[in-house]
Amino acid sequence: MMRNHFGNFFIALGPATLAAAMLSLAVPAVAVINTGTDAEAGLPYWEVVEHGVSIRLVQRLPDQTRGFFQARGFSIADSELIAQSCVFQTVFKNVASPSDPGVIEYNLDEWIVQAAGAPRRMKTREDWQKEWAARRAPKAAQLAFEWGLIPTRQSYRPGDYNWGFSVFNLAPGTPFDLDLVWRQGGERRSARLKGVVCAPDSHVSPAPQ
Amino acid sequence: MNTLIRLSLRCTIFLSWLVLGAAQAAGYDAAQTLPSLPKPFAAPDFTLRAEDGKTYRLSDYRGKVVVLNFWQTWCPPCRYEMPAMERAHKKVQGENIVLLAINVGESEDKVFEFTGQYPVTFPLLLDTEGAIIKKYPVIGLPTTFVIDPRGVVTHRAVGGREWDDEQLLGQLRKLLIPSGKPGS
Repeated sequence: MMRNHFGNFFIALGPATLAAAMLSLAVPAVAVINTGTDAEAGLPYWEVVEHGVSIRLVQRLPDQTRGFFQARGFSIADSELIAQSCVFQTVFKNVASPSDPGVIEYNLDEWIVQAAGAPRRMKTREDWQKEWAARRAPKAAQLAFEWGLIPTRQSYRPGDYNWGFSVFNLAPGTPFDLDLVWRQGGERRSARLKGVVCAPDSHVSPAPQ
Repeated sequence: MNTLIRLSLRCTIFLSWLVLGAAQAAGYDAAQTLPSLPKPFAAPDFTLRAEDGKTYRLSDYRGKVVVLNFWQTWCPPCRYEMPAMERAHKKVQGENIVLLAINVGESEDKVFEFTGQYPVTFPLLLDTEGAIIKKYPVIGLPTTFVIDPRGVVTHRAVGGREWDDEQLLGQLRKLLIPSGKPGS
């Protein structure tokens, strides 16, 4: 269930990591973009794999988000706001060899969401803190939310990684491109994830009698 | 010409498999690293109640190596590393190495429910207000700090680890040796 933007040749070879290894040997600066179905979540993912870096975005269904945040103390209205904001599970890893001292750093404020021809920012922890204060969300819920989100800024030594929710502030079902930026050993690097899609919302109605 | 291209491609594929296989065999995909901090700092003290009903104070562990983990029940890598922490806890019993895991912002009931699926015998402390995590430089969960016997934070791991890995345990044991320099 995996597609690779470098063509069918690599699909025939097997895992995406093989393609990543081959390309990193030949052209170290070229990022490999993978898409497919995340084995654990059973939902679509989009992934950048470059030398020493792996960034994966996995769709989350609005219903999963509603349930998760209602269980952590958010009101129905507040959890609906999150659910309607295009949430992904994001995994950012420094997969460099332990002998490689390269630190990887990122700042979500530098990532650009391209949707409907207009660039926009992601909605980060700091944006949400203001939103929750204005909406008077319960403190315990705010705390769960803060630590549930992928950090706005982080630095990873080899072997370090984080999982967290990322919020793109788009309606369910919206397609978008994402320009990712990070720094590796102080050098700026970037990649574009094309055709990412926010999970559609679905409301199941009772079957007619 | 075609034969040459095919041969060259096959060689590339074979070499790539070799490289990948060697990398995986060496744990390249899941490196068990424990990076030292460029600037070690004194561990902020705290007193917290735990899920077992007892109260724990960090400074009571002076003279021991403390592995201090911040976690939440929802967080996949936190869940993945919990059994490894339990195995590590059992391996280092009697060695002056202790593990403390601080749950951030969740209820005692939620932590209790979690222990039904992931039984552990080391203390699960409850930072229900999120006050203690703010004293430490934590940006994402899980984050684990290693505190040396003098009460100095010397190492930080962001993300889960196989804490019972012998190489990681070796790094912890090294901190018990008086001549061991912090951050080494």
